[in-house]
Amino acid sequence: MSEFLGPLDSSGRVPPQQQTRVAAFLISAHGALARRFAFALPQQMKAGWQTELNAQLYREAEIVSLLMRAVSWVFDPELLILAASWEAAWLPKPMTGLNDNVLALTIDLASLGHAVHAAIRPAALLPENAAAGDAFVMALRRIEFESGRTVQAQILFLKGHDLLPYRDAVNAAVEERHRQVRGLWDAMLKGIGVARAKV
Amino acid sequence: MPFLALGSYRIRYELEGPDDGPAYVLVNGLTQYAELWAGYRAALSARGFRVATFDMLGQGESDKPGLFISQDDQVAALGLLIDQVGRKQVFLGGISFGGLIALRYAIAHSDRLAGLVAMSSFAELSPQLLLLGNALRTGLILGGTGYLQDLLLPMNLSDAWLGPRLGNLEAVKRQGWLTNDVYALQNLMESFLDFQPLTLQLGAITVPTLILNGEFDFLTPRSLHESLRVHVKDSALVIIPEAYHAFTLEKPDLTADLLARFAEEVLAKKWKGGQSVWIAPEMAGGALVPFPPEQDHLRAIPKVTVPT
Repeated sequence: MSEFLGPLDSSGRVPPQQQTRVAAFLISAHGALARRFAFALPQQMKAGWQTELNAQLYREAEIVSLLMRAVSWVFDPELLILAASWEAAWLPKPMTGLNDNVLALTIDLASLGHAVHAAIRPAALLPENAAAGDAFVMALRRIEFESGRTVQAQILFLKGHDLLPYRDAVNAAVEERHRQVRGLWDAMLKGIGVARAKV
Repeated sequence: MPFLALGSYRIRYELEGPDDGPAYVLVNGLTQYAELWAGYRAALSARGFRVATFDMLGQGESDKPGLFISQDDQVAALGLLIDQVGRKQVFLGGISFGGLIALRYAIAHSDRLAGLVAMSSFAELSPQLLLLGNALRTGLILGGTGYLQDLLLPMNLSDAWLGPRLGNLEAVKRQGWLTNDVYALQNLMESFLDFQPLTLQLGAITVPTLILNGEFDFLTPRSLHESLRVHVKDSALVIIPEAYHAFTLEKPDLTADLLARFAEEVLAKKWKGGQSVWIAPEMAGGALVPFPPEQDHLRAIPKVTVPT
């Protein structure tokens, strides 16, 4: 089990089977976020933070579009089962203990977005000698870099004044989504011979 | 790899050195991780100390809470580790953010410590430090861990250290980049959002306290260390020549020697703090020199007597 993707080919490219599996996971997660943001986007915005919803919808869609075009896809029959389990995991799980169901769903969406953008670091899987100019390599680096900014919308909302009365419950919801996303990510990586990097 | 349990979170720690010796517990700076103390573990173990290092909450192999990390949590984690080393004499050292956490622990539990070493530390956020901290946080958000490293490296290390590594800087940054997650670093930085100065509480620190300050520390300059010296009764301020903020990385042999000598003096009851000011040697093993009394240790320019 390696800490990084590979072994790379002579051009420094990641094996297509690993590209396929990693990209499929990311497309599933970011695609789910894009769908949920599309539903959450109000026709008429009433709060400043809702402007971030609009931006994030297109950032998620950009990630999906980028991966679809940057990956050397190969047929991977296991994806039929894996993708179904991933899609089930992204389904809404309204935060418990709130009477306002819309708010409970929004907190869950933000928690999932936080986990996907914060806990998953696709660029950290790349070995030092990965080809910097390769489309897949550049896509992973771009996704991780943009995630650092994209997650700010979630942070602003989840740490914001409006949710302070529910701080412990919100924190628990975020931790639960982190555990779930990390678990699925680690299991997917294990399936392609990768264990997340340790110090 | 052993872990401590802080509520539902796991704190990764390392112990090295003779079990019957006094302990040294070392606390990381903000972007650091326990492995950066490996040289200190070896040097201090060789001098008879049991050395404990750990990744703070949000760092390295310890858990990284999603939203909130408080400084009280870090002090609690440090307390767990100190309990773990047992009922022996404990010397506590911390650098920068870790120095602040060490100070907070010492304020609350001075009776548990035999000595304290505050390195590149601070008890208050001066306007400069506050604004630098805000700018570093913005840099992290906009540019990621790599950009934060780009800001911190030239701010905290000397030309002498950086020069030979300029062609290989990406490799120097890589382990820190791999280890640190943006959101976790941001949470650590945001633990300062409600920070209250500790200056007036420093009097509660009654143990011998060594304050180490790099001569050219830009991030936490002399004035912040002076505040520690003036308010901690049994202290001594030692200025490390030609050093910047991150001298534990740049001058590990010298710093480990200063840590060991401090503890050995305290254990031999030869320590004389007296809120004195000293100049460290250039190399490990050299003599410390009292700061010339006719000079102002807060200034680079010598005192000038204007003829009347």
